[in-house]
Amino acid sequence: MRDIDKEFSLIRTDRRVIPSGRLWNPAADVYRSDDGWVVKVDLAGVCADELEIEIHDSMLRIRGCRRDKHYRDGFVYHQMEITYSRFEKSIQFPAPIEGASIRHDYTDGFLIINVRREQD
Amino acid sequence: MPESTQNAPPAPETAATGQPPATQDLRFSAQSTGQPFEVAVLALQNLTLFPETVVPLGIGRPRSLAAVESALATPEKLLACVTVRPDRSDDTDATSADLYEVGTLTMIKRMERTNEGMRIIVQGTERIRVVEWKQQDPQLRAVVEILPPPRTVDAEQVEATKRNLQQMITEALALLPNVPPEVRIAVLGSAEPTRLSYFLASILNLGVEEEQKMLEANTADELVRLAHTNLAREVEILQLRSKIATEAQTEMDKAQRDYVLRQQMRAIQKELGEDETGEAAETELLRERLDKAELPEEVRAEADRELKRLQRLPAAAPDYHVIRTYLEFILELPWLKSSEDKLDLAEARRILDEDHYGLEDVKERILEFLAVIKLRPDTKSPILLFVGPPGVGKTSLGRSIARSLGRQFERMSLGGVRDEAELRGHRRTYIGAMPGRIIQSIRRAGVNNPVMMLDEVDKLGNDYRGDPAAALLEILDPQQNNSFRDHYLDLPFDLSRIFFIATANQLGPIPPPLRDRMEIIPLAGYSDREKLEIARRYLIPRQTTENGLNTGQLKIADDAVELIAARYTREAGVRQLERTVGSIARKVALKIAQAQAENVTVTAKDLREYLGPPRFYPEQARKELPAGVATGMAWTEMGGEVLFIEATLLPGGRGLTITGQLGEVMQESARAAQSYLWSHAAEFGIEPEIFKEFGVHLHVPAGAIPKDGPSAGVTITSALASLYTGRRVRPDTAMTGEITLSGLVFPIGGVKEKVLAAYRAGIRRIILPSRNEADVDDIPEDVRDDLQIVFVSRIAEVLDAALEVLVANPPPQPPSIVDGGRSRQPEPEPLSVKS
Repeated sequence: MRDIDKEFSLIRTDRRVIPSGRLWNPAADVYRSDDGWVVKVDLAGVCADELEIEIHDSMLRIRGCRRDKHYRDGFVYHQMEITYSRFEKSIQFPAPIEGASIRHDYTDGFLIINVRREQD
Repeated sequence: MPESTQNAPPAPETAATGQPPATQDLRFSAQSTGQPFEVAVLALQNLTLFPETVVPLGIGRPRSLAAVESALATPEKLLACVTVRPDRSDDTDATSADLYEVGTLTMIKRMERTNEGMRIIVQGTERIRVVEWKQQDPQLRAVVEILPPPRTVDAEQVEATKRNLQQMITEALALLPNVPPEVRIAVLGSAEPTRLSYFLASILNLGVEEEQKMLEANTADELVRLAHTNLAREVEILQLRSKIATEAQTEMDKAQRDYVLRQQMRAIQKELGEDETGEAAETELLRERLDKAELPEEVRAEADRELKRLQRLPAAAPDYHVIRTYLEFILELPWLKSSEDKLDLAEARRILDEDHYGLEDVKERILEFLAVIKLRPDTKSPILLFVGPPGVGKTSLGRSIARSLGRQFERMSLGGVRDEAELRGHRRTYIGAMPGRIIQSIRRAGVNNPVMMLDEVDKLGNDYRGDPAAALLEILDPQQNNSFRDHYLDLPFDLSRIFFIATANQLGPIPPPLRDRMEIIPLAGYSDREKLEIARRYLIPRQTTENGLNTGQLKIADDAVELIAARYTREAGVRQLERTVGSIARKVALKIAQAQAENVTVTAKDLREYLGPPRFYPEQARKELPAGVATGMAWTEMGGEVLFIEATLLPGGRGLTITGQLGEVMQESARAAQSYLWSHAAEFGIEPEIFKEFGVHLHVPAGAIPKDGPSAGVTITSALASLYTGRRVRPDTAMTGEITLSGLVFPIGGVKEKVLAAYRAGIRRIILPSRNEADVDDIPEDVRDDLQIVFVSRIAEVLDAALEVLVANPPPQPPSIVDGGRSRQPEPEPLSVKS
């Protein structure tokens, strides 16, 4: 992650504009297990109820939104570095996973998704 | 803007179920419902924010700070950015009325407090339109609706344009060395036309209006087209700039170096206390001086114009100094300043007499001019031309005239001037241009009516650079010279009040139109008696004091002076005489300084001791002349000369051989003389056979000196007649005159010089054309009284007067017949003749 100063200096002097990428692209690990896949996504601060997970052919797509829920009346921001944003994460698998059974769990700020193959 | 609320977003497929194509980023959260919603609005000055770009912003104004704070207080950190219209001029915190309607919805990604307020980084997400303003204070708030991304109408067209864009971007990047690699990659890697266009729009300096136009574009076609147009212009400018930069590089380096050095110099000067007056002070000073100076209107106007130009120039500009010098020159010229003449004729006479001995008729002419000036002060000053041999006092006479008039004296030598620009100056466009000599001497004189002496006008050259004599024509023309235009000055200057005096050794080389403009005053050489007087009155006293002697310590006896003039110098003027007197004075000074003597008187006897043996043995009258030799007289620049013409018979020879560097005119008069004698052989008692049996050789020594002119006609005739008749020419007689084939004798010029030369040579009998009788008055009386002058008008009379009677040697003067005489002409120089 670039810190704020670096971000400033990278941008061209007069306009300091860079094209944006995704709003927020959370990092994800994928394990291969005996009976399928385990996907771990770095999604701290995201309310699990607001997640949408869908499968399309060999693609797993996770959407959601991180909102600032700790802000209270009387608070004043002194510094902000956490991106509060909607996001979408797509993960491509080598084989179709349609029809697989999905179970997800939310622990220690990670979203863990178990994709179990149909045959099993 | 076409699209409005109703065809606004068919808001994104949010609650994903599986079917949506899910190509693009998806709209979640509050705005994702597609319904208008309320949001804090940030007014952007001079900047348009586009979707899909990340922009850092500095926030300082109260309304902006409040808007950001309020956005940060929401869970999603959304902030609408709308640009302030460019026509709003003042710099105060903008209100809703100042803003466009279409802007960009952003998400705040980072925030940091600074001394001035805060810095934030926002990311544009989608375009919005303000539906309704809700609040102005403490921050702007509005209800906005999301606008759909520009839709593609003609996909092929858009794709083609996009590729074109990328091509151009590559070109542009090549011209911009300092683009961060991130930007490079981002731009080139961006495959999506809308995104690319937005990014281009935000990095190019297009101006708010153009940027807003791109933001409001509702179709990808239009957006890409706009991006293309703008980028094309930008690339063109870049190319041009890089071309200019390359070309200017070298020049810039030099200019910068000069600039730095000049700055250093200024600093040094400041340290030295030399930089009291800055540029501004300098022009101010010039203006003050212009105000004080008396200038004609036209000059003043021109000077003001130049001063204005000067004020606009930095001191480092090359033109600066040109203009300053020009203005200073204008200030120094005596446009309206003149000296007052003192016109006391008696005083003038006294001054002329004091400075010059003799030259009676010249002084008379000068006094006449002064009298006219006195009676009519507005008379145009005359233009005099003194013609005479060197050292006769032409220049000093000019000085005396200035003194007697009480005017400034300025002298310039025109000898060897061959460039018209020397007289008339160079145009100011040339580097190092200067005014001409005329204007420069007026500046030196400090008044506009000096006596200006143009020395040696006969020595003007001319070549491809122009003819200075032609420039003199204008300068010396009283009709034109009241508005003489020097090339440098480029303003008319009135020369008509200048008293011009020109000098020349000869009239011949002066172009007739120039001669015509001047009053010619001939100055002949001095006689020995005049030289003696001049030496006594001026030369000896002057050399005495110049060599550190007191009056009375050196006396030079008259006989010594006469001997010096005759044997140690040969000149028409007195320069060499003065130098010789000077060398005597130095030798005397040595004696006195060594205390060998108290005072010294130099007599003719002592001259050998002081000066060595005499240097010149002037042609003296020969005691006896063989038949075929006659004495003639010639005029030279140095005064007069006697020369001998020798003829001899060549038995069995033919025709007439002529030697002695004779010019064509002289050769022709020799032929005319022979033809005349031949045709009148009987009349003069010549055997006609002699013409057939003998050739004749005619020689005029000295052979190395060219001679020309018709005035030797009578001398040649006498020599030939003597040769043919055997009667000798009288050795005490010299002669001059032009002849015609019919036997007439025509007048010639330079009588005074010729006669004086003959007199010096010891000749006491002169034959002159009778039409030259009037010129005899020029000959000093003492000489004239000593001479017997025979005037003749026909050749027969010449021969009567010149040839001895056949019988014996010492016949009385009158005519007789037979026997030869001869005459000779030593060291002649061009025999100049006028009739």
